[in-house]
Amino acid sequence: MRALRRAVTWFGLPVLLVLVWWLVSGGSFYLPDPLKVVRAFWDTWVSARAFEDVLPSLGRLLLGYVAATLLGVGLGVLVGLSPRLRATLEPVLEFFRAIPPPVLVPLLMLLAGIDTPMKVLVIVSGCVWPILLNTVEGVRALDEVLADTCRMYGVRGGSRLRRFVLRGASPQIMAGLRQALSIGIILMVISEMFASSSGLGFTIVLFQRQFQIAEMWSGILLLGLIGLALSFLFRLLERRVLSWYYGSGAARA
Amino acid sequence: MLEISELRKVYESPNRVVEAIRSLTFSVGEGELVCVVGPSGCGKTTLLRSIAGLLPVSGGEVRLAGSPVTGPPPRMAVVFQEYGRSLFPWMTVRQNVELPLKEKRVPPSRRAELVADSLEAVGLGDAADAHPWQLSGGMQQRVAIARAVAYEPQVLLMDEPFAAVDAQTRADLEDLILRLWRDLGVTTLFVTHDIDEAVYLGQRVIVLSSSPTVIMEDLKVDLPAERDQLTTRSLPRFGELRGHIYEQIQRAREAR
Amino acid sequence: MSRTPFGARRRLLYGLAGLAGLLALVEAVPRLGLVDERYLPPATTILATLARELATAGLWIALGETLIGWALGLAIAFFLAVAIGVVIGIVPGLRAATTSTIEFLRPIPSVALVPLATLLYGPSLSSTLLLVVYASFWQVLIQVLYGVAAVDSVAYDTARSYGLGSWSRVRHLIWPTALPYVMTGLRLAAAVAFILAVTAELVIGSPGLGAEIQVAQSSGAVPAVYALIVLAGLVGIGVNVAVRFLERRVLSWHPSVRSEATT
Ligand SMILES: Nc1ncnc2c1ncn2[C@@H]1O[C@H](COP(=O)(O)OP(=O)(O)OP(=O)(O)O)[C@@H](O)[C@H]1O
Ligand SMILES: [Mg+2]
Repeated sequence: MRALRRAVTWFGLPVLLVLVWWLVSGGSFYLPDPLKVVRAFWDTWVSARAFEDVLPSLGRLLLGYVAATLLGVGLGVLVGLSPRLRATLEPVLEFFRAIPPPVLVPLLMLLAGIDTPMKVLVIVSGCVWPILLNTVEGVRALDEVLADTCRMYGVRGGSRLRRFVLRGASPQIMAGLRQALSIGIILMVISEMFASSSGLGFTIVLFQRQFQIAEMWSGILLLGLIGLALSFLFRLLERRVLSWYYGSGAARA
Repeated sequence: MLEISELRKVYESPNRVVEAIRSLTFSVGEGELVCVVGPSGCGKTTLLRSIAGLLPVSGGEVRLAGSPVTGPPPRMAVVFQEYGRSLFPWMTVRQNVELPLKEKRVPPSRRAELVADSLEAVGLGDAADAHPWQLSGGMQQRVAIARAVAYEPQVLLMDEPFAAVDAQTRADLEDLILRLWRDLGVTTLFVTHDIDEAVYLGQRVIVLSSSPTVIMEDLKVDLPAERDQLTTRSLPRFGELRGHIYEQIQRAREAR
Repeated sequence: MSRTPFGARRRLLYGLAGLAGLLALVEAVPRLGLVDERYLPPATTILATLARELATAGLWIALGETLIGWALGLAIAFFLAVAIGVVIGIVPGLRAATTSTIEFLRPIPSVALVPLATLLYGPSLSSTLLLVVYASFWQVLIQVLYGVAAVDSVAYDTARSYGLGSWSRVRHLIWPTALPYVMTGLRLAAAVAFILAVTAELVIGSPGLGAEIQVAQSSGAVPAVYALIVLAGLVGIGVNVAVRFLERRVLSWHPSVRSEATT
């Protein structure tokens, strides 16, 4: 009985929405019915396309995201540890963060062409700012008593970095990484919508231009699923990395 | 062991200058337990942080075993006033106690022994795998003490360590400190604002005036070495010493 | 770590020095030939181009269009999200029933809707609005839900036992409690909305700053691309500052403003 109630609360509204979709889609050109979209999804994406378009896109996202993380956390720690450097660079960094990342696509096309390096660079240059600024903030806000404890007990150098600085700043670093992830997905798609001949973004725009409406919707669905999967994976990672933080109740402050 | 001469500390920030300590001169002999009392805000924490080499002084100097202190000396341990914040929340109790030993490159087997012994000594043998935030305030305090003890310091500095625990826990912790001090023979400087506690624990009590701070009195506690919560505290001499220090602090307040 | 106290004036000086340093760097690198001027024009060239562009009516119109898309989209998303969020928050059972749907729809990247917007509206304000509204809606909604959930249940029961109707309960209890969260949502949404407004113009070609950048790029006017990007950054800062100012104004009387510092 309880299980049934839970199933209804979880699946009730989604099922209802799909039904509504079914009803309104009757005969509409722009909105094919759910069954057609699912069939198009199967035919389009569960095929060689998965390897030719989807995986390379995700690979570039991963590469850019990891590079941005290394760069952002590394520089963020450096800047955050020095009050002078922080005061000097903060306005500059705020400016870079305020630039909407997609406008970097046309610029980087000029600088790096239209191939993989450009796409990865776009992702790096968009993702790095939230990571960098959040890391700076996290390092700045490190507990002074803990810093004194480290000094007192001779915790310095690499050990201090690993055991104190990075761990202490990890809640903010993770917040930056979460923002960067959604920016990264946006940039992955956009960089492929421009002058490209493969990739997820390119394929979806192609379907739209060729009026393959069901295929286009299936692409939107795929992007949604990718977004969902990545945010789920991220949450798993976050739970692991920040278990002490949620446990200590600091998160709810 | 510890010599503090004409120590002076002025905090200067762009819009405020605070003379926290005017001039302090005293020394602590090897293996001695000295208590420092003084009203809130008189610079006790400032004094302790200067001795620990965590704070640049504005004048005078601190010497440890003859050599001047410029940074945190290798064989000194501190229990901070904000003990809860001094424990790493992402580490377990065991890891917190073990960290300084790892940095000191103590071999693993000896390390495990020291950690186990010190946790046992503060009565936290079972809590080794808990995280600090899963413990009560008094337990966190004992972890901080265990960490300091496991470090095997020559000098132990403690800053109002029992300010936030209930009376019973406090009495237990006081006896714990006395026991550890006696067993290890470590030179100890114990800061408190509680006169009773200072008299009960110390071989000497240094009474500070309110800010700008000087020493009001450096008092030898001539109570029997063997202390006990019930008998020691009910000795007539205990009452006299307490009353005397109380008067001193009262005078310090009025002189302001 | 000894923390030297940093006065506001010192901070300002350092910050200005940092900006000056950036300008000097961007000036020197192409002048010294480290990077070809075709790829990175000197700072003075970029700023001169920006000044020239700002003297044209076309740029101001484009800027206006971007800001209209931003403000309109943000406003629509904000009111929709607040209304829906409050209803979900106070009708019993609705929160549980919508959780799965919200968790599914929220991570969908808004750019997934680019082809749909193109198909339905072509390069127009409506396309911009579709993307902006979708992206910012979730930011506000999530915060509103947090805010409504933060209402103390004792206070809620008290209000009920004194016979406050649902409208008064919303007005005197739920809304004041949720307000700081709502403003946080607005601040997050404002930044996202600006990004999506420019993106829509850039990718779909709806009129505005993004479209201008696209045009400059395809005609190979490199200094203009840089100038427009600088402008976009400045507008982005303006947007952040404005929303933060609004947040502070709205919350200045609010008891929570003391404790809530950052999120
Ligand atoms: N970082 C600082 N900057 C400026 N002034 C300070 C700083 N730290 C302490 N002070 C000032 O120095 C004086 C002494 O402070 P301190 O913390 O040493 O007092 P305390 O005796 O430890 O007090 P308590 O018993 O409340 O812990 C106070 O007037 C305080 O305002
Ligand atoms: Mg103190």
